[in-house]
Amino acid sequence: MRRKKMALALAAVTAMGTIAVPTVASADDVQEITWMFWDDLEATEDLISLGYAEVIERFNEDYDGVYHVTAITTNLEEYYTKLNALVAAGDTPDVFIVSPGPNLDVYVDPGIAAPLDEYLEADGWKETFSSDAVFSQMTYDDSIYAVPLNIAAACVFYNTEMFENAGVEVPATWDEFLEVCQALQDAGYTPISISAGTAWCLSMVAGYLCDREGLDLDAVESGEISWVNDQTLAAAEKMVELSQYFQPTAAGDTNDVATAAFYNEEAAILIQGSWAIAQINGSNPDFEEKCGVFQFPAIEGGNDGDRIIAKSDSLAMSSATEYPEACIALMKYFTDDTAQKYTAEVGGKIPVTNVEYDADVAPAQLAYVMDIFSNASGTFGFYNESLATTEAGSMFDDEMVSIYLGDETPEEALQALEDWYNLEIR
Amino acid sequence: MDKLLKDKKAILFFLLPAFLLFTLILFIPICQSVYYAFCDYDALSAPVFVGLKNFKRMLLDKTMKTALKNSLFFLIFSCVSQLIMGLILAGLLTNIKKGRNLFKNIIYLPCVLSSAALGLLWMFIFSPKLGINQLLAKIGIEGPLWLMSTDGFIILPMWVIAFVALWQYVGQSMMLYMAQISGIGSSLYEAAYIDGCGKVKAFRYITLPLIKPMVGTAMSLNAIGSLKFFDLIFNMTEGGPNHKTEVLATHLYTQGFEYFKYGYASAIGVVLLVLCLLTTFLINRVFKTENYEM
Repeated sequence: MRRKKMALALAAVTAMGTIAVPTVASADDVQEITWMFWDDLEATEDLISLGYAEVIERFNEDYDGVYHVTAITTNLEEYYTKLNALVAAGDTPDVFIVSPGPNLDVYVDPGIAAPLDEYLEADGWKETFSSDAVFSQMTYDDSIYAVPLNIAAACVFYNTEMFENAGVEVPATWDEFLEVCQALQDAGYTPISISAGTAWCLSMVAGYLCDREGLDLDAVESGEISWVNDQTLAAAEKMVELSQYFQPTAAGDTNDVATAAFYNEEAAILIQGSWAIAQINGSNPDFEEKCGVFQFPAIEGGNDGDRIIAKSDSLAMSSATEYPEACIALMKYFTDDTAQKYTAEVGGKIPVTNVEYDADVAPAQLAYVMDIFSNASGTFGFYNESLATTEAGSMFDDEMVSIYLGDETPEEALQALEDWYNLEIR
Repeated sequence: MDKLLKDKKAILFFLLPAFLLFTLILFIPICQSVYYAFCDYDALSAPVFVGLKNFKRMLLDKTMKTALKNSLFFLIFSCVSQLIMGLILAGLLTNIKKGRNLFKNIIYLPCVLSSAALGLLWMFIFSPKLGINQLLAKIGIEGPLWLMSTDGFIILPMWVIAFVALWQYVGQSMMLYMAQISGIGSSLYEAAYIDGCGKVKAFRYITLPLIKPMVGTAMSLNAIGSLKFFDLIFNMTEGGPNHKTEVLATHLYTQGFEYFKYGYASAIGVVLLVLCLLTTFLINRVFKTENYEM
């Protein structure tokens, strides 16, 4: 009997041992939060991402024993799918990075993202930002749901050495742009490196062309005018015309691969957001002095050619977080002077606060981007982030890629978009 | 043992864990998915019953048509190629004496490796800037864009992925056929050889009929596996270029996790389930056999 009892006790201990979950010892009073981001902080060479890693480290050091943040990281392509899976599972990260527009709508509409007004108003935090306009894309019914971290503009990056060797100057108009591409091709260079594998990269060019042609996007969204119109057709045809100068592998190249082809000097031009500065300079610092930037060309007889695509990365806070104070403290670290100076001086992005930074130590490309910004007559968002839903944005991206691949004529692709809009959106 | 089997409590005790596991992890989620397929559901708010709306939407969904076409291509390619290659390899390996285990392990090895890692490995091999194309360039041949070409009804990347899937899973078919072949009594072959039968004829008239039940089983496994194929595609092309390598499972994933369309994703899941059931039923009908004593 006694042996039986012993055996039972041993079995119980063994069973407990196998099911026991190892726990990490932590002080009860430390507020643990999570922060989700779209780059691998351990492996990245992107200077902005490395700056964010420093912010996390600094926060954890300064608030040791009070707050602690754990980063959840993934690559950009899978970011929203993984974030959405966490949200659907009721495990929303306490703080997460998000692009404005429909990507943020998804979290604001069902109440997943928390309003931040009371925190922004307290302690004069909001006054540290350069203007209220930086919150415009994150404001819903007069409430702010995300805090911007930086601003970037979509520009044309070019290899000054290749331009010089081909004997071409920076183009100002569309026709000049095509002539430059032809001259570069004649000189033996691949004129443009672009990604159609990451569809938004190609659709960014399409968005620029639509705007340059004078498309009224709001009228298209509401159904006042069809997607099949003179402006979109002309834009699509121009994109096809430009595509003869893309690298042969553009159809499948990802954004990272296309950007690498540019900074590894395999192509002369990269049409990309100014966030690429951090990636270019982080991966190939020697290329910085050869890298020029110009504004996306105007179309003669078209719309205002001084408008630029601009966007910001923002942080949202989960409405279900147990520790809002810790989340706000973390968000403040991303917008404090140290982080914002780093954003400009190392990352090459435009800060969102009134911080003064040393333009002489900042990447050379930032000065060109600032020039473009200062001469811009207005800004507009990425088309795929300006449409009604994230799926509508993806539809636009996909149809533009279809046109480029030759799967559909511009008329067919735009009609498909119109049909989809009539079915799903309007 | 007989005493134990007569004890209803004992039977219940042994069945209960499996029954609970099956019910909680498989049966209830499947029933839920079928219900969600008829709902507008974003996983953030309560599902709203919408009848057949999700299924009607499929008819207008271009990517769904591509995904269905690619899934059916995988199904046919996988069933046919694994049947032929699996049989050839099993036939060869059962007839060699030296190195049988070595080759068996080499061929079976990819089956037990992570598909995610293999997908990345093959993606590098077929990348235009690495791997095969670089080797071809050394002998003056410009290789095709293995994972990027978009020409043809079934595009080149689909053939490439199907080849990789064959390479990865043919070992499983081979092992099943080998197990069945090794169970065939040698007396049958000896009698056939005495009657003047050659090795090819013996394979055709003895081996093939006797392994027919296993062909049905292996083909059912291949068919279900190829219909719910996901990992290699996700890692090699992510469904691109422009959704042309999407299959039902990747399309389901995108609709559910990217766009919060869990209702629509469930409807795709239901289509997948029906296809799996139909295919298994058809294969079982075709390969319905009597069991012979071997």
